[in-house]
Amino acid sequence: MNLPPMPNGFSPLQTKGFGGFAGPVMGGKDAEGPLFLFDIAPQHLNGDQRLHGGMMMSLMSIVLGEVAQSTAAAKEEGAKARPLSLNCDFVSAGEPGDRVEGRAIITRATRSVLFMSGKLTVGGRVLMTATGVYAIKAADDK
Amino acid sequence: MTEGDSANARPQRVPLASPVEVAPPPGFTSQELHDPFEAHMGPLFEREDANGDRVGAFIADERHLRADGSVHEGMMMTFAYAFLGGAAWRGAGEKPCVTMSLQASFLTDLKRGDVVEVRTKLEKRTRSVIFVSAYFTVGNEPVMTATSLWKVLGAR
Repeated sequence: MNLPPMPNGFSPLQTKGFGGFAGPVMGGKDAEGPLFLFDIAPQHLNGDQRLHGGMMMSLMSIVLGEVAQSTAAAKEEGAKARPLSLNCDFVSAGEPGDRVEGRAIITRATRSVLFMSGKLTVGGRVLMTATGVYAIKAADDK
Repeated sequence: MTEGDSANARPQRVPLASPVEVAPPPGFTSQELHDPFEAHMGPLFEREDANGDRVGAFIADERHLRADGSVHEGMMMTFAYAFLGGAAWRGAGEKPCVTMSLQASFLTDLKRGDVVEVRTKLEKRTRSVIFVSAYFTVGNEPVMTATSLWKVLGAR
């Protein structure tokens, strides 16, 4: 498990609470847009020594959630994005020592809802595809 | 598909410890966890209700929260995955299953200290596919629903 260091410009996301304890998930960007990186470590595995499905969905939820949040905040200062629905398809397994790449795109943004899709890959091999529907909540909406 | 999950836990293995000790909610016992990631996020609890149906639970603590103090959807999906995997394994006649798809709808925000319970329903079993739904509550309030598809290994 000798992965290269994280590229310059990548820093850990959601370091407080769940994101920090389950992760770390690193966020940055490249020519294609926002990019998320995650190195599979021993605590992320299932009993068969592959990436646990719960961790895979957790990673996907952080990738989608980060892009949803930055999109919501760009539309309206202080707005928050909250997941209404996530659908995750398990396409292939992740192995210890893999560096997983995550990407998410906005399919459609209305005033109050974001339709999103996301993908997790390792070196071009797809691990997971997902769609998410997020509510945009104004800063004063409790 | 993700090969090997909680559904494949081999009974002879020694259960893994969780990093924090949490007393089970009344009537629940701690589940034996064999997947490192479930142990990392656990403990997880279970009990049988009056009908003999299994009920799963976890208690939200600081490891499960977003920065604003609400429970992270990743923890909810991890909890769902762990318990639905067990239901699929039992539904398949204790054969190993792998996850094909899991969908969750988040009905409300949750907070630290909430005791989240889950009940599952085996919707359909074909020779090779198991359909499992799940209903999540805090007290009597519905907080999340999930549906899932599992492939029975070795069956076509």
